[in-house]
Amino acid sequence: MWDLIKKYRVPFVTGAVVLVAFLVYGSNLKHRESANFFERGVLTVLSPLFSVGAVVSGGAETVWNDYIALVDVRRQNRELLEHLRTLNSRLVGEQEALLANERLKKLLELKEQMPAPSLAASVIGEDGAPWFKTLVIDRGGKDGLQEGMPVVTSAGVVGQVVKVAANSSRVLLLTDHASAIAAVVQRSRARGVLRGTGSRRLSLEFAIREDDVKVGDQLVTSGIGGVFPKGLPLGEITMVKKGEYGIFQTIEVRPMVSISRIEEVLVLLKQRNE
Amino acid sequence: MSKLLKPGIAILSALILQVTLLPAYIADPFKPNLLLIVVVWLGLRATPVRGALLAYLLGLAQDSCSGLYLGLNGFSFLMTFLVLQNIAHRLYADNRYLMTLAVFIATIACGLAHLVLLALFSAAEGIYASLLVSLIPQGAVNALVASVVFGIVDAAQTEEVA
Repeated sequence: MWDLIKKYRVPFVTGAVVLVAFLVYGSNLKHRESANFFERGVLTVLSPLFSVGAVVSGGAETVWNDYIALVDVRRQNRELLEHLRTLNSRLVGEQEALLANERLKKLLELKEQMPAPSLAASVIGEDGAPWFKTLVIDRGGKDGLQEGMPVVTSAGVVGQVVKVAANSSRVLLLTDHASAIAAVVQRSRARGVLRGTGSRRLSLEFAIREDDVKVGDQLVTSGIGGVFPKGLPLGEITMVKKGEYGIFQTIEVRPMVSISRIEEVLVLLKQRNE
Repeated sequence: MSKLLKPGIAILSALILQVTLLPAYIADPFKPNLLLIVVVWLGLRATPVRGALLAYLLGLAQDSCSGLYLGLNGFSFLMTFLVLQNIAHRLYADNRYLMTLAVFIATIACGLAHLVLLALFSAAEGIYASLLVSLIPQGAVNALVASVVFGIVDAAQTEEVA
């Protein structure tokens, strides 16, 4: 027997190992959901190593994801930022065009309503001195402009042309101290002269104490004097003060036109002697 | 040629800045008067005849873009130049801080000259209110801008000499 085993040692051992392996497998089929002492031992011994391995692996992944795989990201980021800038500037440009379109549409509507021929102009400069209120527009004598022509926007009266050059003109704003426009209160037809005060407010002078003027009343051009056509909006009354004495009342007016935001205007091409 | 060209371009740029760019971004009393700064510089450094002519022309250029009264700034700039010319030899005119102070004083003096001339000869009633309110802020802004401008001019001149 021993000789037989010796003779077939290799196949016999192999068979025994395979059988043991099979038996181990077979015996664990019943308890497949619980760990036996071997599994527990292996896991206990190896788990710290697994942790180290996991840390190393995580580090390697970080290195890969955050550094090696991001070699091009800086360049890509720069390109995207550039792209974003281009898109932003395009967006701003489109927004600007949209707003200009709206303003010009209003100006065109006004132009169609005006009885006299008119000419659109862009504001190209402002007065440098704080105590004078004038604008420079890009139309001049060559375009038919003359001193004294009324200048308006869709909101109301801006002022009048005062100095005309060949290709540009100066406009005296209604807020300038030298500006005086004959005005009438739309509701009560009370008359007065609207003077600039050098600030954002105007003053309605020579309105008699007995005249019916209230806060919120609209002021329009009276047409007297022949410079401005009748009925153009001038401003809204913001303060009325009647002193105990005196013939006139003190009236403060807010101009309809936002002077600091004017970009385009309409010049009414009215001859001086018309 | 370059000696005339550079100041010419600088003055033209100052005028364009003053009429177009600065009013669009700076609120009213704080708009600097760049041409007045040039006049002060001329008053302290330039020769009498050429300086006076240039100061007057600068005033007229300013009048062409500001207000209604041609000659108002011409007169006040010329007066400022002449006063500065008369006292320049008594001052250490190379000192940047003194020039800055001169700009502040010149702004106030020019404003007061405007006030007197407008009160006497124009129909702009009540202008004194806006003018007086604006004088100190404008003087301060002019002085501030002048300190920067004179600093740049000095640096450029030092570089040229070196």
